[in-house]
Amino acid sequence: MSSAFRSISTSSLLTISLVAASGIAAAQKPAGTPAKDQPVFTTSKGEWPSYTGDTRGTRYSPLDQIGPSNFSTLEVAWRFKTDSLGPRPEFKLEGTPLMVGGVLYTTGGTNRAVVAVDAVTGAQRWVHREDEGPRGAAAPRVLSGRGLAYWTDGREERILYVTPGYRLIALDAKTGAPIPTFGTNGVVDLKTDIDQTILPDLITGEIGYQGAPVVGRDVVIIGAAFREGTAPKSYKNNKGYVRGFDVRTGKRLWTFHTIPQKGEPGYDTWLDGSAEYTGNTGVWTQITIDEELGLAYLPVESPTGDYYGGHRPGNNLYGESLVCLDLRTGAKKWHYQIVHHPIWDFDLAAAPILADITVDGRAIKAVAAPTKQGILYVFDRITGKPVWPFEEKPVEKGDVPGEWYSPTQPIPTKPAAYAKNGTSLDDLIDFTPDLKAQAVAIASRYKLGPIFTPPVVSKAEGPIATLSRGPTNGGTNWPGGAFDPETHTVYVAASNAAPAVLGLVQPAKERSDMNWIGGMAGGGRGGGLTVQGLSIFKPPYGTISAINLDRGEIAWQVPHGETPDAVRNHEALKGMTIPRTGQPGFVVGTLVTKTLVIAGDPQVTAPEGRARGAMLRAYDKATGAEVGAVLLPAPVSGSPMTYAVNGQQYIVVAVSGGPYSGEYIALRLPSGAK
Amino acid sequence: MKDRRLPRLLGACVVVAIVPMVQTRSERQPTADRTVWDSVFSAPQAARGETAYVKSCSRCHQASLAGADQSPPLAGGAFLGNWNGLPLSDLQERIRTTMPPDSAVGIFDRQLVTDVMAYMLKVNGFPAGASDLPKEPERLKEIIVQAAKP
Repeated sequence: MSSAFRSISTSSLLTISLVAASGIAAAQKPAGTPAKDQPVFTTSKGEWPSYTGDTRGTRYSPLDQIGPSNFSTLEVAWRFKTDSLGPRPEFKLEGTPLMVGGVLYTTGGTNRAVVAVDAVTGAQRWVHREDEGPRGAAAPRVLSGRGLAYWTDGREERILYVTPGYRLIALDAKTGAPIPTFGTNGVVDLKTDIDQTILPDLITGEIGYQGAPVVGRDVVIIGAAFREGTAPKSYKNNKGYVRGFDVRTGKRLWTFHTIPQKGEPGYDTWLDGSAEYTGNTGVWTQITIDEELGLAYLPVESPTGDYYGGHRPGNNLYGESLVCLDLRTGAKKWHYQIVHHPIWDFDLAAAPILADITVDGRAIKAVAAPTKQGILYVFDRITGKPVWPFEEKPVEKGDVPGEWYSPTQPIPTKPAAYAKNGTSLDDLIDFTPDLKAQAVAIASRYKLGPIFTPPVVSKAEGPIATLSRGPTNGGTNWPGGAFDPETHTVYVAASNAAPAVLGLVQPAKERSDMNWIGGMAGGGRGGGLTVQGLSIFKPPYGTISAINLDRGEIAWQVPHGETPDAVRNHEALKGMTIPRTGQPGFVVGTLVTKTLVIAGDPQVTAPEGRARGAMLRAYDKATGAEVGAVLLPAPVSGSPMTYAVNGQQYIVVAVSGGPYSGEYIALRLPSGAK
Repeated sequence: MKDRRLPRLLGACVVVAIVPMVQTRSERQPTADRTVWDSVFSAPQAARGETAYVKSCSRCHQASLAGADQSPPLAGGAFLGNWNGLPLSDLQERIRTTMPPDSAVGIFDRQLVTDVMAYMLKVNGFPAGASDLPKEPERLKEIIVQAAKP
């Protein structure tokens, strides 16, 4: 290992149990071919071996011990506070643990440590952390990240993760020690061997990844992420290529150029040679793998400049596209650009969901992409053709100097949008005429319009910005959705009430060399668009939707989240009966089991009769009726997962937020109840 | 939560012991039930906070304070929901001990954090007043975040 980094693993195991290799031929099998005697860990056996349960993005487990009749009786089995895993406590714990063989593996701490704990007791088995010094400190995506990947060939078991400083680490799952035969002493430097020179240098060069790696057929796929992109320092940046590595050796197998190089298809969608210098366009969220078909599905983010694309005229493939690759070679099978010439920050933010469905009597292997715009884009995952046709609809052309506009954008004919994704006066708060009048007065200083209304140059006299919902923080973000293979239904949360203000200003030269960056002329209140402390938008502020993929229809949609205290306690609303409003907030991941859809409230509330906290709720899969809820001390800040050990089912959630630092909490039925 | 109670109790003792000595005549007002609606920051302070915010915070949390994929919103319903009912001292401590996330830079100065908080209060629609928001945690402890207008 390079002397620039210190790697520390501590194990509480006195002995390392070695698995006998006799009789196990997995190590000699051809790469990518599952061996018959290889142990298969799946959610069907009560494990949770991948970030989304499987590699298919489904977050489905067939466990049913915890069900509608007993969900509200759940008790804390154990808690694991992550404060001391890093130099500071973390208040944004986003991890979803893995569970294999009675051991829970997860990330925590502000420098992204990896920890293994006993899945029944929560007792720590080992912890591994890397001291990356200035390289870690300069990382574009810091904190504990979203999780890990697990791999075994029946002989070895490995845990893989990406450090804040963008190094891929392989650990022995039993001890936490780096695997000496992987990369260089267990480490692959992801800033090298990437078909470009990461600038300005390997220490400060902007590129990282906070997602969980995904492994299929012995290939581990790693995405790329950058700093938030509404106001970049430059229109030039490093490129977010996606790579596949041999999970045994760490050798790079392939690199997919998310911005095509000269001579490659798609290069001509970057006019004026802009593919040469434009960057970003990575995959910062979860990648999905179909191991049977040997295909990987990449949800690609925006190119450099979330709200301004004048430095990159053209449609900009593969920006905001869903891309299907051959898992073993990285060769592109198909792609579909969901947003042409991205200028709304509509990154494909959620793991694509693999769904085997039946449409009009025809079996289809589908892939469904939940999005910030609250539209579920559904494709045949072999051919890349939409299951229900998309229409190229004309959209408004803006007038920002230097910008290049796509005249149309694709909109699916089915299913209907499951979240609000534009703004009109009819969308504004109307609990009382006075509140409505105040909301209209605020909104009158902004440009309103439907989805794909373009950003505007911000003017203090108005419009200050385009006021929208969907861009950046709306709809569905990285927590993603869930898919029930029994009912062929996607369950997905959405935020309707996060105002997106798409205003552009000219930056000072020392700030950025872009012509325009996101910002507001004086007088704008931006994300604080509240009216007397209430959301400027009508409820529901947040929802969970069940979308049946055999029919392409929303089967049910319910507000998700307790009515915020500001609504319940507001003087102007006293005496009014207001149905549950749900809550704004995009960090709502869904988990689906044999009998339940489970998700946490994204906000804390303190209604009369219970302590301050956030609820973890369970819904009936068929109707959306709430069938149970338990109180947690803070919002669920990562997607929930479930597993069973020794006949007992557990649900584990990451909670954090506000003044509450990160903690994993394991829930189970009261002692003796199974 | 348990581990936070002791410092807060100690903080309360400090308030009793020290605050009367440092308060000026004009500040010697009843402080119970003060909320962010009670004009607890000044416009010049919010302007200083905006300058600091643009320099040090907006790259991640955005010029609009709306947050982004990785950075939580600092304004609007999602922000106010999680801080509703809590004292501003909690918010100051959260920011002061965690920002900037680049730990090599070290943590922000308490005055700078307080000025940025004044700007956050302004953007969230709370009224400005004649006096600055104080930087002392024992005084911020007396000011409660209340999302809804009383």
